[in-house]
Amino acid sequence: MKRKTLFWAALFALLALAGAAVYALRGGGTAAVVTLDGKEVDRVNLAAVAVAFERTYRSERGWNTVRFSPGGVAVVDADCPGHDCMEQGEITDGAIPIVCLPHRLVIEIKE
Amino acid sequence: MSKTKKLVVMALLTAVELTIWVIEGQIPPPIPVPGVKLGLASVVTLTAMVLLGRREAGCILLMRILLGSLFAGSFSAVLFSLAGGAVSWAVMSALKGLFPEKLLWVVSVFGAIGHNVGQLLAAVAVTGTPGLFWYGPALLAAAIVTGAFTGVGAMYLIRALRAYEEKRG
Repeated sequence: MKRKTLFWAALFALLALAGAAVYALRGGGTAAVVTLDGKEVDRVNLAAVAVAFERTYRSERGWNTVRFSPGGVAVVDADCPGHDCMEQGEITDGAIPIVCLPHRLVIEIKE
Repeated sequence: MSKTKKLVVMALLTAVELTIWVIEGQIPPPIPVPGVKLGLASVVTLTAMVLLGRREAGCILLMRILLGSLFAGSFSAVLFSLAGGAVSWAVMSALKGLFPEKLLWVVSVFGAIGHNVGQLLAAVAVTGTPGLFWYGPALLAAAIVTGAFTGVGAMYLIRALRAYEEKRG
């Protein structure tokens, strides 16, 4: 039993480390890419942003106002019911994208 | 366990799971990454699966998701929750019999991984952005940590509930 516990603990630790490594390696990038319903609709080079500005993306499902600032991007306003995208705050790396499920909006940071 | 008692226990566990879920949603997450949540409510699902059975645990989980969305007031989250919950439940149901109870936390880890896989699949299907799969590894790492934590929590809860039941006779 002890050996089995150790086996699983070691296996999961390895998997978690591998996952974290891939996450860390993919962290870079300066381009904020906005995807609406699977199609890229906007791409902003965050390294070139000197003063933060906002843009609103609309579709028949609703709208999201996105703030692009030097090195980061965040959803600051939206008419979706959950506001998960706003609660996430600003993302500054490619680790986890902002996803607004009801509006099918995805914001990622890429190379 | 009589039918009535089982029903009462299931209702109680649903209320407990719902309460934990609502409260956890109000606490700022330890890591500010969406989709990375401790998922404390799954302690109850896993406990119900061991003490009552797979179907009963599925009922409790489904009720918690539906009632939870009512409390949280957003329908899009239901889809996410259902996708995660369904895969997680299926994985844990399949694996529960294959592992001894001392390794219940392993079942919990696989359940947590299943939960995140389900949510990722739902996100990709809804947004039509296959690039989201790149976030799988990060979610995998998170699921292992949170799954182990909730699994150990469930093991303690099961032990405590059994001891209580024995004392009462």
